[in-house]
Amino acid sequence: MNDSKNLILAVVLSALVLLGWTWAANKYFPSNPPTTKVVNGKQVPVPEPQAQPVPTTPKALQSREQVLASTPRVQIRTPSLAGSINLKGAQIDDLQLLRQKETIAKDSPPVQLLAPLGTPGAYIAQFGWAAQGTAAPDLNTVWTADSQTLTPGHPVTLSTQTPDGVRYQTKISVDDDYLFTVQQSANNGSDKPVVVRPIGLVSRATKSPDPDSWTNQVGPIGVFDGKANYDVNWKDLDEGRTEAFNNVPGWLGFTDKYWLTALAPQGTMTGEFRRNTTGAYQADYALAPASLAPGQTLTSKASFFAGAKEKPLLNRYEQAGIPKFSYAIDWGWFHWFMIPIFDLLLFLFHTLGNFGVAIICLTLIVRGIMFPIAQKQFQSMAAMRKLQPKMKAIQERYKEDKARQQQEILKLYQAEKINPAAGCLPILLQIPVFYALYKVLLVSVEMRHQPFVLWIKDLSARDPLTPVNLFGLLHFAPPAILAIGVLPIFVGATQWMSMKLNPQPMDPAQAQVFAIMPWFLVFIMAPFAAGLQLYWITNNLLTIAQQWFLYRKYGLHLSDTHPVHT
Amino acid sequence: MIAQLMILVAKAWQKGPSQVLPPSCRYQPSCSAYAITAIQRYGAARGGWMALKRIGRCHPWGGQGYDPVP
Repeated sequence: MNDSKNLILAVVLSALVLLGWTWAANKYFPSNPPTTKVVNGKQVPVPEPQAQPVPTTPKALQSREQVLASTPRVQIRTPSLAGSINLKGAQIDDLQLLRQKETIAKDSPPVQLLAPLGTPGAYIAQFGWAAQGTAAPDLNTVWTADSQTLTPGHPVTLSTQTPDGVRYQTKISVDDDYLFTVQQSANNGSDKPVVVRPIGLVSRATKSPDPDSWTNQVGPIGVFDGKANYDVNWKDLDEGRTEAFNNVPGWLGFTDKYWLTALAPQGTMTGEFRRNTTGAYQADYALAPASLAPGQTLTSKASFFAGAKEKPLLNRYEQAGIPKFSYAIDWGWFHWFMIPIFDLLLFLFHTLGNFGVAIICLTLIVRGIMFPIAQKQFQSMAAMRKLQPKMKAIQERYKEDKARQQQEILKLYQAEKINPAAGCLPILLQIPVFYALYKVLLVSVEMRHQPFVLWIKDLSARDPLTPVNLFGLLHFAPPAILAIGVLPIFVGATQWMSMKLNPQPMDPAQAQVFAIMPWFLVFIMAPFAAGLQLYWITNNLLTIAQQWFLYRKYGLHLSDTHPVHT
Repeated sequence: MIAQLMILVAKAWQKGPSQVLPPSCRYQPSCSAYAITAIQRYGAARGGWMALKRIGRCHPWGGQGYDPVP
């Protein structure tokens, strides 16, 4: 009676945990939604979720093409970027990342990072001036350009002049990757002194479509005075707060899961995150104001990053002088531990050419390092076989007193200097390794849209193939909790097998927990990226292979690992 | 306060991960039980340090057997 009560309780609790887990996993460990779905046995790409259109200007929303056609522009052409600079307002407001595609379809357009005001998902960068004693150029100022196209090695200079004679110039250059260099100058051609101050801003009409989570910052981001700041969130700005950082060197901007815009002026700045009057999210800086006597010129320089957070690139820009730019990836507390793992994974990927194979190889290396621990365990087990008679004697003698029996066996181990238990340190060491892998797979844009084999077209997303709708033959999309992919099922199956090859628990209650664990794991792992599931499966298969090899090497049998039967 | 938090972590370990992991204790009492006693007896700093040292010994080349908190 009591047993069945416990069983019902266990079932109800498990169901609650599973339901809660799906909710919690999506909230706290969001992975990319599947990039493909299976329809009639064919895999088709899923369109990216678009940011909700919010008008940034009172004007009705227009299409990008309409806006682009109706404003004077300088084209941007580099190996990594395509887009244009809007001469009205001197804004960089049209930018595509040529090396990154919107979806995994072959004909997919590239990722659109920046989009002009008045279009859905407007996202712009602007460099300008604040002025006293004269007019400053604003969003309606139409600048003139000295060239029609901006390419690496061929900068463009924009200029405008106020009626009283102050000349503003903005020289924009770009490299082969994602960095613009913006040199601004103001020349006082008027007959009275003026006060000017260079400013820069990035403004986005909407939040990122990527979820913000405690394991990865999405939203406002920056480094101020040598310290990375991941603490300002959309919510803070929604509540009307302005987060200001006064007189500090550094950089600031907005990050999506994989994309980043960042302003890095030279010298110290006053940086701010806020929601401006049109409801757009804004990161801006102002440099120290300077008073210009007639004829004097003020020049300032800033870098503007707009692109994908590829770690080698971020490192390069950091070395080139943007302070702590590599912190644009939110590695969290274990930064020092993540970096070598990430670098190794990236090296394997570039060497082997397939990200899935790289993950498998990385797992092999980690397990190779752990191998001596398992080997030592088996040596102990082999030695233990010789002690079987003594062991039996103890079991006989303390049949009634399990605790005493346990104690005596431990004493025997101690006397013989053997122990089949590996201790908790190896387990505790594996936890950060696993977390590092999770984190590395979470933040690396390098894994985005990377295929493995067969139906796995994107390792950074959930497994799209699920038996729940008969692998796509039935036309319905199961709810997230039921959409258990094929990979997580493999995770459970391999986990079950590997646990069978480990010493079994002595306590019957614990044995029960052991029996359910692998199937529980299927649900636990289901919401994660396919890359992480691939790691787990490989890990389990290696455990199975390792145990099999060691059993043979030491001539042991499974029963030898279960020394204490109760 | 910190001591209580640390004890809570140790207890959570016993109730959670420890239940589903293969039995691995080389010592008696287990590392988590050792940590709880040590922190109760010597406070967060010293007790915590003792617990860390105990975990540091708890590997295939470390010691084993009965090893109570001094």
